[in-house]
Amino acid sequence: MNYTFVPSVCSYCGTGCGVLFEVIDDKITTTLPLKSHPVNQGKLCIKGWNLHEYINSFMRLKAPLIKEEGTFQKATWEEAITHAANAFTRIKKEHGPDALGVLVSAKVTNEENYLAQKFTRAVLGTNNVDHCARL
Amino acid sequence: MDIVHQVEQLLEQKKIDIFIGYREIDGHVIPHGFTLENLEELKSLKLGDQRYALEKMAAGLARRDKALKIGIIARDCNNRALNTLFTWNQLDPDKVETITVNCCPSPITPHAECSLLSPKSTGIYKRENGIAFDSDPETFKKDHDNSDRFSRWMYEFSKCIKCYGCRNVCPVCFCSECSLENDELVEPGNLPPDVPIFHLIRASHMAGRCIDCGLCEEACPSDIPLRFLHREMNRIVSSVFDYQPGQGQTKSPFTILGDKVTLTPQPMDMDMETEENRE
Repeated sequence: MNYTFVPSVCSYCGTGCGVLFEVIDDKITTTLPLKSHPVNQGKLCIKGWNLHEYINSFMRLKAPLIKEEGTFQKATWEEAITHAANAFTRIKKEHGPDALGVLVSAKVTNEENYLAQKFTRAVLGTNNVDHCARL
Repeated sequence: MDIVHQVEQLLEQKKIDIFIGYREIDGHVIPHGFTLENLEELKSLKLGDQRYALEKMAAGLARRDKALKIGIIARDCNNRALNTLFTWNQLDPDKVETITVNCCPSPITPHAECSLLSPKSTGIYKRENGIAFDSDPETFKKDHDNSDRFSRWMYEFSKCIKCYGCRNVCPVCFCSECSLENDELVEPGNLPPDVPIFHLIRASHMAGRCIDCGLCEEACPSDIPLRFLHREMNRIVSSVFDYQPGQGQTKSPFTILGDKVTLTPQPMDMDMETEENRE
């Protein structure tokens, strides 16, 4: 039996609470607050306590989906990114760059958020970038 | 003999299949399961002043595999919780080996030989309007009248964000169906939850189980003085049933179903008066 604990950071909001995953035979079974973490000091909210549930959820998407004729079809990352890039290019050409907007998230890292705003401003060419916390 | 050698021996002699101790990762001392297959990891075995409910993890593992023999690092609170889990048939005493270590150091016990945790410091507002972490149930009852006490408890309880942390972290909470998730008792979707009933349900279910380890108070994001509440509940259990959970492996009075009710229901105040008279 492989029984171990893995420290991590909660991905539900931007607070950044330290969590501890109980891992039994490479499967996350429980989430605990990380007691020595300076942010949450051994406390968690109800979402953090149940963090392991969405990792193991059967509803979790593991591959990109493209909508074809009203239903979602499984696709490869290459297909999905090309599909999105084509759509962005078409909208930009037809309606101008300000017809596009990007919402970033507290659940991704600082670096990913930086990349997202860079993509919005430098590639799409619009200032329509905002954060999910302001929705 | 140091702990590492003791664990190594236990594993090699097949007295245990897995040893739940602590190791350090990125500066955090966190629990880890040491086995014979990864014996070299034992070098990283370390003790810190953070406590996790290792016995709860052991009970979880035993639930998956009944034949599993488990060793754990046990401080005093772990030992008390283990005793409680034994009496409630959640763990088999024959399948658990403990290595007793000193308790966490604290200002009260600098030499760390005792389980008394030092209470957290209390802010001014909480001291004025709520209940201080270091207050004593007896003096609290003397210093404040009934309505004052009630409003102070309501102030504390209404801060609850219903994270279920107190229940999730509790080493002696093991029911497969929890009353706190029963829609009839606690209406879903309310925040704060139905106070004070939410906390009183938990407190009453802790009767005969609570070993005063203080993990629930440590895990409470709203600083509700749960130890105070459970300590008073423990006092009632000890005065009525002469039973202290975790002290030995005698069965809790709450595991025995009687055929008649020996206690008469009465208001709280009358109960206290009669108790005082008795004394």
